[in-house]
Amino acid sequence: MKIIPYIIYLYILGLYYTILSDLTVIYGATVDLAALMVALVALYKSETAALWFAISVGIIVGSRRLDLMPWEMAILAVLALIVNQISARMNLESSISRLILLAVVFLIHQSVIAFLVSSDDLFFVMYRTILPGILFSLLIGWIFLQFRDVHATWRRFKALF
Amino acid sequence: MTWPSTILHKNRRILRFGLAIILLVLTAVSPDLIRTSLGNFSSLLFIRPFSELKNYVVGLQNVATENVRLKSLIAESSLQLNILNEIKRENQRLREFLGFEPPVNYGLVPVKIVAIQANGHPLAAVINKGQKASISVDQPVVNRFGLVGKVKEVMPDFATVALLTDPSNAVSGRVAESRQIGIVRFSPERGMYFDDLPADAEIKPGDLIVSSGLGGIYPAGLAVAIVDSVSVRKGDILKMVRLSPTVDFFSIDELYVLISGNL
Repeated sequence: MKIIPYIIYLYILGLYYTILSDLTVIYGATVDLAALMVALVALYKSETAALWFAISVGIIVGSRRLDLMPWEMAILAVLALIVNQISARMNLESSISRLILLAVVFLIHQSVIAFLVSSDDLFFVMYRTILPGILFSLLIGWIFLQFRDVHATWRRFKALF
Repeated sequence: MTWPSTILHKNRRILRFGLAIILLVLTAVSPDLIRTSLGNFSSLLFIRPFSELKNYVVGLQNVATENVRLKSLIAESSLQLNILNEIKRENQRLREFLGFEPPVNYGLVPVKIVAIQANGHPLAAVINKGQKASISVDQPVVNRFGLVGKVKEVMPDFATVALLTDPSNAVSGRVAESRQIGIVRFSPERGMYFDDLPADAEIKPGDLIVSSGLGGIYPAGLAVAIVDSVSVRKGDILKMVRLSPTVDFFSIDELYVLISGNL
């Protein structure tokens, strides 16, 4: 397992949570980059890589709130294993199926964290922040998948203009 | 016999899961020490470089904002300083003028110059008071250095002062020491000079010329000029006397109109 790409992913995560998350908030909706990265690594990499990457992401995300660290580690690790098993056992050819899988990952991750953190009505939080956040994260995931599956290339992007 | 390494290799998947589960359980049930250590370590590696960068950029933004604020403050302070300096100069002039006594039976009306008419040299000044302030034609105008001129035209709120540097304006003068009488005139070519002074008159450079009081416009004793040079050509019956006015007509500011009768 080559470790350097994963370290770079972790740095991207650190950059996002430190600087970019504040700049990319749209009406309270933020990208769930931790879940997105874990799910993408689980989709395309090995089970071991997905498991340890999820635990590492859990530690980094949890370092902002130490009481949530074990929860983040556990949720992300479980989600990584589930996504990895699904991608290994099911034939996820279309982007739609992968997007649905990503949406479920975002929903579970954000709902559990909201349940643990939020003192407000969970349905209100779901409506106000979680669903917009899922849509925003799906948009970023969809863009990534387009590039990953070579549906979107720089040449095609330039041809639009 | 099976080697331990073979057992580990065969069960490596279980081992990895076991390790992950142990780490999760330790993090969950341990005192804060492990969480804090893990959090600090991950922050140090992945969060702090970016948070320091963010702090640096925010600091730069604050510096830029502060810079703009300070520049505005400097401009404002500079303006205030200029105003205060002007007030200080005015205060100094007024303090000096406190020692100025108007001639007997005259009162002083302080006025400010609002415009100067010039043609290479100042000819007339428009002042900010007129008939409403009891100013009328032919009243003498002075400043703290001496005679400036006389009122030429009057409007309700403004008046025009014909300066001594107007060639059409002449003053009957007297040498303060020898009491010799002559006419103080100004021409653009010769500057200010003392006219009609006999060749044998007692006068020397440095003498003060004051108004004589003859003619009924200017009261006697107002400083008009200092004798600059004296010359007489052979056969002439009059002396040529060049004068330097006591008033600097290029920098006049506050003036006082002399009004007969105490105010």
